Amino acid sequence: MELKEALTTKKKEILDLWIERTLDSYTSPGFFKKATDPFANPVGSNISMGLTSLYEALASGEGGEAYTKSLDQVVRIRAVQDFTPGQAVAPFLELKWVIKQVFSADKKTQPLLGALDQLDCEIDRIALAAFDVYNQCREQLYRNRVDELKSGRSILTDSACPSALAREEQEKAQ
Amino acid sequence: MAVVKVDVLAQSVAEGPSLMTGSIPTKNWMDVPAVFKPGNYAYTTKPEIQKYLDSQKGVSFPNAREWNPEDDDWKLPENWKEIIIQGIADRLDRFRSLKIFMDCCVRCGACADKCHFFLGTGDPKNMPVLRAELLRSVYRQNFTRAGKILGKMIGGREMTVGVLKEWFMYAYQCTECRRCSVFCPYGIDTAEITMMLRELLHLVGIGINWCMEPVANSNRTGNHMGLTPQAFKGNVEFLCEDIENLTGVKVNPTFNRKGAEVLFITPSADVFAEPGIFTCMGYLLLFEAIGLDYTWSTYASEGGNFGLFTSNEMMKKLNGKMYAEAERLGVRWILGGECGHMWRVLHQYMDTMNGPANFLEVPRSPITGTVFDNAASTKMIHISEFTADLIKNGKLNLDKSRNAHVKATFHDSCNPARAMGLLEEPRYVLDHVVDNWVEMPENTIREKTFCCGSGTALNTDEIMELRMRSGLPRANAVKYVQEKHDVNTLACVCAIDRATLTTLMNYWVPQVEVAGLSELVGNALVIEGEQRQDLTEGLRTMV
Repeated sequence: MELKEALTTKKKEILDLWIERTLDSYTSPGFFKKATDPFANPVGSNISMGLTSLYEALASGEGGEAYTKSLDQVVRIRAVQDFTPGQAVAPFLELKWVIKQVFSADKKTQPLLGALDQLDCEIDRIALAAFDVYNQCREQLYRNRVDELKSGRSILTDSACPSALAREEQEKAQ
Repeated sequence: MAVVKVDVLAQSVAEGPSLMTGSIPTKNWMDVPAVFKPGNYAYTTKPEIQKYLDSQKGVSFPNAREWNPEDDDWKLPENWKEIIIQGIADRLDRFRSLKIFMDCCVRCGACADKCHFFLGTGDPKNMPVLRAELLRSVYRQNFTRAGKILGKMIGGREMTVGVLKEWFMYAYQCTECRRCSVFCPYGIDTAEITMMLRELLHLVGIGINWCMEPVANSNRTGNHMGLTPQAFKGNVEFLCEDIENLTGVKVNPTFNRKGAEVLFITPSADVFAEPGIFTCMGYLLLFEAIGLDYTWSTYASEGGNFGLFTSNEMMKKLNGKMYAEAERLGVRWILGGECGHMWRVLHQYMDTMNGPANFLEVPRSPITGTVFDNAASTKMIHISEFTADLIKNGKLNLDKSRNAHVKATFHDSCNPARAMGLLEEPRYVLDHVVDNWVEMPENTIREKTFCCGSGTALNTDEIMELRMRSGLPRANAVKYVQEKHDVNTLACVCAIDRATLTTLMNYWVPQVEVAGLSELVGNALVIEGEQRQDLTEGLRTMV
């Protein structure tokens, strides 16, 4: 069996395992895995959809640009959750392990295990692209902070009370 | 109904740790301590702010001190435990609702997956049932006979420093939005449980500055910003200059004018911060267009009331200025601007706390003659009700093409939607000021609307990540209509929304701007004698 064919044949198994393991990185993954309404379960559904379309792009060899949107769908969420940067993008690298796990369970795909170098390289590229997205997200967070400061929204607490200042000045002058 | 039950969720264990994601095998929730680290807690109250508040009549904020949530030692008063247990006892005695909420939950789990904090974090303690359980377990142990005997066996637990830390963590990961309450078959109002938790924490000097500084400012100058009367008036006048430059309409609002028919009160952010100022320009234009006899008050210069997020005494005290100013100025009734939590206070508490305002009349629109019997008791109506009535009676000349740059969707702000049932009026207004707008998915609007994720004084930048994840369910629905219908404007009727949804959109859906409903009204208003420039972005146009 050719690699491309194997990736298509084993798509469901690979995705099931990959999504499951990715969602297992949450404290209480049960709900994220089970609830199917995308508006009632944004984390679970976005991650499932993102990983699915990412895998499809990988399996079809589309690559490049096709990855960006899917990566964003997953990484934008993980970039603001309680993960270290490494943990946030780890699922993409874990895909290598998942594929090997699935391939090794089937005699037909076992022979491919020794010929996955190129695929591994492509997955590494995905992980690097994920790191870029992660960084963009983090930079956006910092821009958000600056924007809030500039817009005056933070003045609630980050500035002294004008009347208190006026009183202090008066007291000093006296 | 929830897909999974609380106990299952709380104790679910990942099968084998993930290779690289460091998946955490979950323990019983009682055994997982709250860990504070930069970014997951809001800064604590500055001691000078707390001392000032504690010195004020009618409120109590003892134990002011410098302390850091990351430290093991929170410098609690020696008898902190007695204070907390006595605090619970006092509140069980005073608030029948609390007693009922402590007893009646059957842990059905209907609320579990309805909280935006849970949906964004996956942290089981953000399930409303479990957040309430943080208090309920202590209640059970100390105030029920079974709990006193059986303790942990029936879900009771000792009040410890660890429990107190957990309270601080999760009482400030709830925006009191009450979405969970919509789904609770017993009608448990989890917001009230959070309110109690926060009150109890204040007894031992635990609070956050982003809440308490606005409270202190409001107590002193009347508004969150601490604006003096001169500064407040100056800011509104700046906006009037902008309006004149943009539309050629000269607007002359009055301040503290005795004998005006109507007192107008709105969040101070409307006169100060973008994008609220555009909403404020909308109000000013509207009142000018209809010739409303109204006045601003430079003391009742804040609709918002962070006392709601602090203690009931504080809320009452801050709210007091509204009726006091209305009486002093001799107005007939009060008109309120676009604000969220302000309307929970006004609609559900004001009359009991500071009423009855018998010196006021039942609001009657001087333009249409409509009597707002729905506000017969509070004497205060919402700007959307007022505007919708004007439109319905054909009193406004609106040109939708002036909002041609807008493709809108509407975010129901939690409190106007769930605490006062303001669902149709804003939609009616929107129908008449923009050419097309679309609804977000059914389970994310109206009573089931998702919170912006930053209410209850959580709108502070040190917890930006937390705000982004708790705002995800809202943003996710906006993203859907943005992608499907090319929506570029998220309309809302809340000042906190205008500030926080702007930030939320910048992160999740950068194509979308946030606008107050009255801004869109102001954009569309045709006013006699105007010399309006070509405003391609409405009142936001730079000229």
